Amino acid sequence: MKLIVNGEAYEAKRHESVSALLEEMGIGGRPVVVVLNDEVIPSSSRSACGLREGDCVELFRLVGGG
Amino acid sequence: MERQDKAQDAWVVGGHRFSSRLLMGTGKFQDAETMVRAVLASRAQIVTVALRRVGRIPREDDMLGPLGELKGITLMPNTSGARNASEAIRAARLGRELCGSPFVKVEIHPNPHHLMPDPIETFEAAKILAAEGFVVMPYMPADPVLAKRLEDVGCASLMPLGSAIGSGRGLATVEMLRLILRDARIPVIVDAGLRSPSEAAAALEMGCDAVLVNSAVAAAGDPVAMAAAFAQAVKAGRDAHRAGLMPQGGGTALATSPLTAFLSEEGQ
Repeated sequence: MKLIVNGEAYEAKRHESVSALLEEMGIGGRPVVVVLNDEVIPSSSRSACGLREGDCVELFRLVGGG
Repeated sequence: MERQDKAQDAWVVGGHRFSSRLLMGTGKFQDAETMVRAVLASRAQIVTVALRRVGRIPREDDMLGPLGELKGITLMPNTSGARNASEAIRAARLGRELCGSPFVKVEIHPNPHHLMPDPIETFEAAKILAAEGFVVMPYMPADPVLAKRLEDVGCASLMPLGSAIGSGRGLATVEMLRLILRDARIPVIVDAGLRSPSEAAAALEMGCDAVLVNSAVAAAGDPVAMAAAFAQAVKAGRDAHRAGLMPQGGGTALATSPLTAFLSEEGQ
């Protein structure tokens, strides 16, 4: 399934849920925030939230900053 | 009137009580271990973090993982990278999701050369975020008029700059800070530009409620030792403020020892 992940085309093998996509990307369990088509997906909803062709996924994490 | 609690010398921001008057940033550290040790040495209770997109190749070095395990530390996400109010609002909402904290340091500086905060966009973002229930702590120019406007729209504190971010030029805005302090009814935190602990002490002495440092510690020869030095300076400055500085004289000296009739008269 073709997705847009962080502004770039991404071919997802696992797309049954947001959680599955994060696992595929190697960031399952990491503290990230998921934005799906401009909407924040709370971590409690990730396993129930499915993905559709062309969905726009953005992933953010915390880094050091002042 | 949340300026201070005189009994315990705690200070309150957005309904949250803190005893440490030193806030720490987490940028520029050479590694996570040094950063965590410096945060511990600083005894900071509010620690700022930034938000970035996850790269395509997941990074193993999680700078902030160990911070989340420390007790008694509130993570305050900033909105750095935002060029306008709408980007800052978006960053604030994402930061709240990641940190689980209502605190946000609104930081909008569109010009990478001087990184001066945009007062108009900062005001717009602060107004909306405060209405959404965030504890809004805006990084702002040291402008007393803007300070009052930010207070009026519900900011929890004011964070005027001492000098440009990372410049180490100290309290270049000291006269404007005095004007802000004169009228502020919410905590005033000097954020940005400090280089030495004596500058932090000076900020507290003049009545600022706290200071926020990052580069001054992270770029020091020994960041952990410098964090501890800042902690002591902030305490000394605060204690001096509470003690009340002596009146400043004019151009003439006022003797501390008796000067007249040296040795020929009995002491008074």
